[in-house]
Amino acid sequence: MEIFIAQIINGISLGSIYVLLVTGFNLLLLVAMIIHFSFPIVVVLSMYVSWIVLGLTGNNIFLGVIAGIVSAILINIITAPMFQHIMKKRGDVDINSTMVLSMGIGMIITDFLSHSVNSGFPIAFPDNLTGRNLGAFFQIGMISISRGDMISLSMGIVFVLGLFWILYKTRAGRAFRAIAEDPAGAKLVGIPILKTGLQSYAMTGVLGGVSAVSIAILLGSASPGLGDQLGHKVLAVSIIAGLGNLKGGLIIGILLGILEALVQGYWSGTWSNSIAFVVMLLAILIKPKGIFGIKL
Amino acid sequence: MNRQNETILKVDDVYLSYGHVEALKGVSLEVKRGEIVVLVGANGAGKTSIMESILGVYQSRKGTVTFKDKNVTNLSADKIVRKGIYLVPEGRGVFASMTVIDNLLLGAHHNLKNAKAKLTYVYDLFPILSERRNQIAGTLSGGERQMLAIARALMSNPEMIMVDEPSIGLAPKIVSDIFKILKELNKEGYSILLSEQNVYKALKLSHRGYVLETGKVVLTGTSEELLINPEIRKAYLGA
Repeated sequence: MEIFIAQIINGISLGSIYVLLVTGFNLLLLVAMIIHFSFPIVVVLSMYVSWIVLGLTGNNIFLGVIAGIVSAILINIITAPMFQHIMKKRGDVDINSTMVLSMGIGMIITDFLSHSVNSGFPIAFPDNLTGRNLGAFFQIGMISISRGDMISLSMGIVFVLGLFWILYKTRAGRAFRAIAEDPAGAKLVGIPILKTGLQSYAMTGVLGGVSAVSIAILLGSASPGLGDQLGHKVLAVSIIAGLGNLKGGLIIGILLGILEALVQGYWSGTWSNSIAFVVMLLAILIKPKGIFGIKL
Repeated sequence: MNRQNETILKVDDVYLSYGHVEALKGVSLEVKRGEIVVLVGANGAGKTSIMESILGVYQSRKGTVTFKDKNVTNLSADKIVRKGIYLVPEGRGVFASMTVIDNLLLGAHHNLKNAKAKLTYVYDLFPILSERRNQIAGTLSGGERQMLAIARALMSNPEMIMVDEPSIGLAPKIVSDIFKILKELNKEGYSILLSEQNVYKALKLSHRGYVLETGKVVLTGTSEELLINPEIRKAYLGA
């Protein structure tokens, strides 16, 4: 029972990262009309930037965190004009073309990370960021939650709540959801499509930065292949929940995190990815349109 | 608001094509302040196309649209909405996954400051929407959706409302209710451009009408004139 509780807590903190990434992916898909499955790869690049800055500043946490978030926003701004060009010509350009652009961005980043940073070896984040050296944040019997887990868990909860608050309680969020449900109809009722698309793009930049920091704290390391791995999961969660289904993504994201944590707790960490995908494969076979239905 | 006989909207020689299909071939029409003007015509005659080109959804190839003496040709839809034109789309265009109140607030997207007062105003006009404010719009009946679409238009603080085929798919009793509402709104000072298949009811409601065929205005006149026009009676009124 104690392992179970510990792993549920771990699962929620891992799951909240998936939720941030999946929601970012869904927003880009629905509002900006960008199929950006390399979004998690961009997030991993921000983790690397944060790591480099930590190295240069003698592990100054504040600067490291700022670097992670700012770099995600910067990468976002730099890549925006390319996507914006496609968004402007939405009527004429197939949105599948954004997929090619995303793929290209992903490949360049992964290639760069595997050749030019740390000779392609995995990077480890310093203890003062992850809190590993301080031992458990609290320990009751066999339940032991590290300080890092606690921070990433609280960050995850705060930002997921904040994100859904923006989506469901603000003017911009209302416009996001309207465009997500019916882009042509949203245009008819006077919502500026391009501007709102750019807003959603900017928001995913911030989300990406927060996720980067959160992943760094939770996993404590990163490798060039991490982005691909996360990318696959984000795409899978998004499709299993029902492509574009924001609330579905929230639930499935958390469930995937818990599933992985339980496999790690009771069986073997090395198998958690494969098992996660077997379960997701079964889910998609049973519910081909996603558990909560496609919202496109 | 009541400067009668002042032209609020003027559409002059507008051409619009979707790819190779010419939807509008030189349409001209005008709406005066405080008028209800109806567009009559079969499916594909260009009624929706006129409304969508006024709203700036599609760029017209030629011609001008003037609203309150300002040239608004080919401005984007969100800018046109700010100028005071709002469309109640065919099929209502209500966002089914969102609540009634969210749908209403979308109408005031460009002007949320006055949203509270506007909400009180539309709830007063449509008490049923007030009752269902937190309900998902997808669960509303057809008539309620049409009311929601009209209420959303009012939220935008418009001077002219374009209403595209409001009676489609509604029971006759509900259609009468909707037409009553439009008449009320018109009395309050809103100019209305209406497109309608129910020609008799629409002409009874409106001041003037334009008859469209394949993207052109073929006939225009006051509603009384049109109601007794033999061609209209033959083609649309089954007499």
